[in-house]
Amino acid sequence: MKHLTLASCILLLATTVAYAQVDVYGYFEPQFSGMYYDSAFYQMNYNKLRIDFKSTAVKNIEFGANAIYLLYFGKKDWDILDFLPGHIVSMISPEMYPYYQLTFKDTLFLDNAYARINFRRLALTIGKQQISIGTGYFSNPTDILNTKDALDPTYEQPGHNAIRLDIYMGNRMNLMGLYTPIASDWENSGKLVRAKIGIGHFDFSVSGHEYQHTSTNFYTFQQIRERRMLIGADFVGELLGLGIWGEGIYNFIEDDDEDFYEFIVGTDYTFESGLYAMLEFHRNSLGKSDYQNYFLNDWMRFITGETKTISQDQMYGFIQYPLTDLISIGSSIIVSVSDKSVAFVPIINYSLFENVDLTLMGNFYVGEEGKTFSSSLGNGGFFRATVYF
Amino acid sequence: MNHFTNLLKTISCTAVVLYVLAINSRLHAQDMTAHEIINIMTETMNPDQSQGKMKMTIVTTSGQERTFEYETFSKNQGEKSLMKYVKPTRVKDQSILMLNNADDIWVYFPRTKRVRKLATHAKKQKVEGSDFSYEDMGASNTFIDEYDAIRQNDEKKEGRQCYKLELTRKSESSASYSRIVMWVEKEYMVPLVIDYYHEDDPKLWEKQLICSDIQLIDDIYTPMKFVMYNKLDNTQTSMEIIEVSYKIDLPDDLFTEQGMQK
Repeated sequence: MKHLTLASCILLLATTVAYAQVDVYGYFEPQFSGMYYDSAFYQMNYNKLRIDFKSTAVKNIEFGANAIYLLYFGKKDWDILDFLPGHIVSMISPEMYPYYQLTFKDTLFLDNAYARINFRRLALTIGKQQISIGTGYFSNPTDILNTKDALDPTYEQPGHNAIRLDIYMGNRMNLMGLYTPIASDWENSGKLVRAKIGIGHFDFSVSGHEYQHTSTNFYTFQQIRERRMLIGADFVGELLGLGIWGEGIYNFIEDDDEDFYEFIVGTDYTFESGLYAMLEFHRNSLGKSDYQNYFLNDWMRFITGETKTISQDQMYGFIQYPLTDLISIGSSIIVSVSDKSVAFVPIINYSLFENVDLTLMGNFYVGEEGKTFSSSLGNGGFFRATVYF
Repeated sequence: MNHFTNLLKTISCTAVVLYVLAINSRLHAQDMTAHEIINIMTETMNPDQSQGKMKMTIVTTSGQERTFEYETFSKNQGEKSLMKYVKPTRVKDQSILMLNNADDIWVYFPRTKRVRKLATHAKKQKVEGSDFSYEDMGASNTFIDEYDAIRQNDEKKEGRQCYKLELTRKSESSASYSRIVMWVEKEYMVPLVIDYYHEDDPKLWEKQLICSDIQLIDDIYTPMKFVMYNKLDNTQTSMEIIEVSYKIDLPDDLFTEQGMQK
């Protein structure tokens, strides 16, 4: 019924296109993923269709929306317990096993739908919208709304219900206020203030974010809500010819839990040959420094994105080289410094036609069982085609 | 008859005046230094403000063509510039803001609503895989600030009389080309041909830019077509001005993160 309603909305929007100044565009993206795990090969694939609508017919007002239809095929039913270390699984009560079953269901949803009202020095955006904060590439500590997948960090993030106000105070100075009504009341909803200033070749930001964090106790599947207050800062600029950036936060937790901090620093350079190289270091004090202390909640909160990392220190490397004007090759190397395990993520991008991109990505884990990138998690990759229209 | 004689006299006088002016102008032209020529050319090519629509066509190594359309805005003689892609849909609404003559570059990605600041080294990167780098597109003052210029013997290029200039990178400069040779058209003071030489090897010919179809727009001579040939990769990129105007007043807030997203 929900799908039918959404489909009707899309149809209605599509039919209005002929009568209004609405741009319709988007992409179709089939992805074929394969994984070699426990002496068997599994494949899980999807077809994704994203349709964007955008209208600027009314002066100073932009309306944007996009709907996504995801159709899964291949192995859709997974058991998360298969991927957890044996000693962790043995601690789970068998009657809880069904809770660890994961099924990918076909879905149709409105990812974004917002109106942006532009005045000369301010912009008000209301509705479900993408929000991207921070300067980090693989992870953004100042962004508590999104959790990047370190294996594919530039992939688009989902929309969030929010009211956003941007005030442009002058040359390279702006202020952002964001209200995310996640909880049912004002007090527990998210409130973010962020100020940004550009000085020389640098951009600096400071932010404060009060929000409610939900974490799950995966032994009982009970949810725990706590209020947090984040103070953060980030910068981007250059030093001695190198691009440099950083982000840091300190989180005050209202209840008894200990406060925590997180930061990321990075640098990049483009060589004359076109080779691009980047390095980032990421510390999350919520992560564990000894992999022997990874427990069920640590693993599950990492897998579900409730925490950004399971280990305390990470190092991310990325290189990319334009093999031809249409093909680039590269690789990410993600090192869990705390537990000494590594993920290699080679990637090839090919611009097949003007509006068709092909991506081939692999992921290979090197680490003992129980570590973040344990080789027992299986190796695999995907082939993705993106056809824009 | 008398009237005809007067007319002849008038024409003769006018011809003499024009001849004297032409000689004077030529003498002045002969006297112009490389620095003066570069300054006039830079001023002609970088009007105070401009707004236009461009079409960029890349011919790849495999012979495929890729076409992009974008809107351009510039202010303060090109010190600030903004490019917004219109086509193809793969890059629609993506925008590039360049301030301080492309010393500061920001790119806005509409699919992730993220603005990313690029460091100076990124100026050497190709813009959307074309044969133009960010530096080629955005640095309006490069020839004046980054190079020492020497005037050589005038030459005919593309069928037009040109000043020939040789530019050598200043020792403290980090510009992407070690040497540049350019031919500036004498009448319109716009470059017709620019040869770029490799960053590390002044003898290695890297790129050639050919400007053509010069038109007078809002009292400013404007080459409407540019073709950049990459001599090393054997690729080429052409840029065509679809429309342009100079008599405009662009607000400063266009050249901000807000302007990129509007």
